[in-house]
Amino acid sequence: MKIGLEVHVALPTKSKLFCSCSMEESEYPNLNICPICMGFPGSKPMLNETAVKSALGIANALHCDVNRKISFVRKVYFYPDLPKCYQITQMDDSIGREGYLELENKKIRIRRVQIEEDPAQIVRQGMLTLLDFNRSGTPLVEIVTEPDINTEEELREFIANLRSILYYLGVDINREMKADLNISLAETRVEVKNVTGIKSLIEATRFEVERQSEAIKNNEKIERETRGYNEKSRVTESMREKETDEEYGYIYESDLGTFDISEMEYVEPVYITNVSDELARGSGVNPKTIKEITMLNRDALAMIYKFKEKYSMKSILHGIQRFEKYSNKSMKTEDAVKIERIIRLVDEGKDISREAAEKIIAGEEVNIQYSNVTKMEIEALIEKFVAENPGILEEYKRNKKTINLIIKEISYKNNMHPKDVSDAANAVLNRIS
Amino acid sequence: MKSYIKEFLEVEKPKDYYGSLVAEIEEKNREQHFITTLNSNIASEDKGRLPFTVKANICVKGFETTAGSKMLKGYLPPFDATVVERMRSSGNFSFLGETNMDEFGFGTFGLNTEIPARNAFNSNYVAGGSSAGAAVATAMLKYHIAIAESTGGSISTPAALNGVVGFTPTYGTVSRYGLIDYANSLDKIGVIARSAADARIGFDAIKGRDAYDTTCSIEKIGNSGKKKLFIIKELMDKAEKPVSSSFEKLLDRLGERYEIEEIESGIIEKAIAPYYIIAMAEASTNLAKYNGYKYGMQYGETNKRYNNFFTEARGDFGSEAKRRIILGTFIRSESVRDRYYAKATQVRSMVIKEMQKILKEGFIISPALPIFTPKIEDAVKLTPTQNYAMDVFTVPPNFGGFPHITFPYDYYDGMPLGAQLVTEHANDYALFDFVSGWEESFDYRFKYNLGEL
Repeated sequence: MKIGLEVHVALPTKSKLFCSCSMEESEYPNLNICPICMGFPGSKPMLNETAVKSALGIANALHCDVNRKISFVRKVYFYPDLPKCYQITQMDDSIGREGYLELENKKIRIRRVQIEEDPAQIVRQGMLTLLDFNRSGTPLVEIVTEPDINTEEELREFIANLRSILYYLGVDINREMKADLNISLAETRVEVKNVTGIKSLIEATRFEVERQSEAIKNNEKIERETRGYNEKSRVTESMREKETDEEYGYIYESDLGTFDISEMEYVEPVYITNVSDELARGSGVNPKTIKEITMLNRDALAMIYKFKEKYSMKSILHGIQRFEKYSNKSMKTEDAVKIERIIRLVDEGKDISREAAEKIIAGEEVNIQYSNVTKMEIEALIEKFVAENPGILEEYKRNKKTINLIIKEISYKNNMHPKDVSDAANAVLNRIS
Repeated sequence: MKSYIKEFLEVEKPKDYYGSLVAEIEEKNREQHFITTLNSNIASEDKGRLPFTVKANICVKGFETTAGSKMLKGYLPPFDATVVERMRSSGNFSFLGETNMDEFGFGTFGLNTEIPARNAFNSNYVAGGSSAGAAVATAMLKYHIAIAESTGGSISTPAALNGVVGFTPTYGTVSRYGLIDYANSLDKIGVIARSAADARIGFDAIKGRDAYDTTCSIEKIGNSGKKKLFIIKELMDKAEKPVSSSFEKLLDRLGERYEIEEIESGIIEKAIAPYYIIAMAEASTNLAKYNGYKYGMQYGETNKRYNNFFTEARGDFGSEAKRRIILGTFIRSESVRDRYYAKATQVRSMVIKEMQKILKEGFIISPALPIFTPKIEDAVKLTPTQNYAMDVFTVPPNFGGFPHITFPYDYYDGMPLGAQLVTEHANDYALFDFVSGWEESFDYRFKYNLGEL
């Protein structure tokens, strides 16, 4: 199986790609519009430098050969959502080409990174087809891969790593990612267009794999075609109107000319896999845990850096995980004081119960002091508990996890460290069962 | 130096000067068709300013701007072109109206529009195009300046045929924001006036960088005079009588002040084909947006499939526009793009290089057109390629974005003859000085002087 992707991502800018209209979400249709993004006769595009910088950061992060000079082309096709009936996009002199994105065991080659404008939005209301130009002129980058993705796992990993890179470059990853998908099991390449969201992307892939395998099994011919993904019925469907061999009549966009970007500054990338490996080295923690926590959370990464000299990596991660588990949200920098309270307790060897964590999250200071008891004393307590609950031994024999019940009961009631109780309980139960 | 603008601005105007000017224009326009949109409110707006017109492909907020096309009938732009804004804010000019033109600038004689403008000297003759109305208006109105536009000769040709000064600046000195595009890499907004001094005043009012047009980036404009005048042999061979013989006489007179040298250039002569390839390729993309539902003509039946709706709406382009859309689309298609478009781009660089070399040493001078002004009835019989061949002198400077100016140098059969002078990039001022020098010993003739004081 070979999969290639064309991923579209909106660049983080305040204004549109070729005019000064606001990029802020608008409550009403056709509010953030002007003659330029509506393609009025006589209007000309002016390039948004912030968009170029941002795209340059992405191209660089994907190890692209970042061109010294960039230019644009007109891609001509007739569709009502396209104000000028051509889209300003990039081809040979695109902002990046021939890069790659690293997965755990391979590299997915990037063919091209290009800047382009989003068309207007078609809104259908019953019999009416309405146009909302608020979206028209939104700056996008299109990331085009070579067909190097061979499994669904690789597809997931690619998307996850890409999102993390984009996230750290300031891209709003909460906006739905749009992608075109090329997928071929045999010789014939099938294109699935306009898939919105990661979930749909995976589902569309699965559907196509199944559809094409079935066809191969039945000795049917796979058509070379463009399909669309239907989110409701979760199938890909052949598009009725085929584009006539993709004849877009590309031509140099002379209204914009050629830009020299060799002096342009951009944001350096964060490769979270590398960062996690680095942080995990010698700390005894699994780098994947760090990756999981920090992949889409720069505040968490900042906190790890901040605390890593003061506490063990294990305690820091444990603290963050506890906080996120019991507060039921991703941590933010503003939670630093609370999280440090948890981390400190963990680092001191204390166990954080739900109650303790919730108290800390509510802003209280929590002090955990364990009773000063000997191992003998704990074992005695456990023996007593087992004697008072005769069924528990039988239960334990069937299910070893029953021990947790004992630990909870004994440690919390008597203010003892769960680890000590657990050791003692194991000893007692092994002895008597 | 003769300046109608200065003369006008300095004197007291009669009380209802603008009102009667508008009335005079309305009357003459019935015969000459040089104005397509008239600002009859100019009287109320004016504070003694000079009336200016713009070619109908330059957007004026709230005034019907059609670029000579049925597709844009009724279109009221929601914004002013940068040049319009600058003319107004200079404090010296008031908007009078928009001038007739070939549809989207597609034409050499001004005939490719519903009702063509007619020559100011004789209405049986062509006005020249595509800035037909701009040149006719300048030849008819005594105190007026025309903002026009040239892609491949659309200022030089009509200015020459109407005996006025037509100035096309260096590409990138005047903002194109608000200009309805023909071919973006070739379109230049310029000035048509009754004297070189006035053309310069107009140019100074509109030039300069503009954030709204990325390609408008040249700020510094020089004035380096030249002692030499070059004649390109291969081009001169195309000039017919009486143009060629009259032009010889002009050279004799100029020979007193300039050194004249005839040179050969195989490549400059070849500019027409690659020029039309690039112009048509770009035009076919610029005209894609006219699909009948956003601005201009409103098409009733909207309950059709998009393709059917667009196809029907786009049927209203004139035949020359259709020809250029079809050819331009063909040129851009993948199978032939390298053969035509890419090659034309290469030839363009070669032409520019060659001309730069020549223009370093001196001006290039030529007639503006290879033939004498044709009658309308004869011009309509020309085939498209015969029409395109008329641009032999005007295409090379336009193709390379070189500044050039046309000026009247003789009258034949009561009709003016115009010559064209070309100089280096960003040396535009040298052209005005040359023509002002010529004007010292040459008397312009005008049939009309509407708005005379």
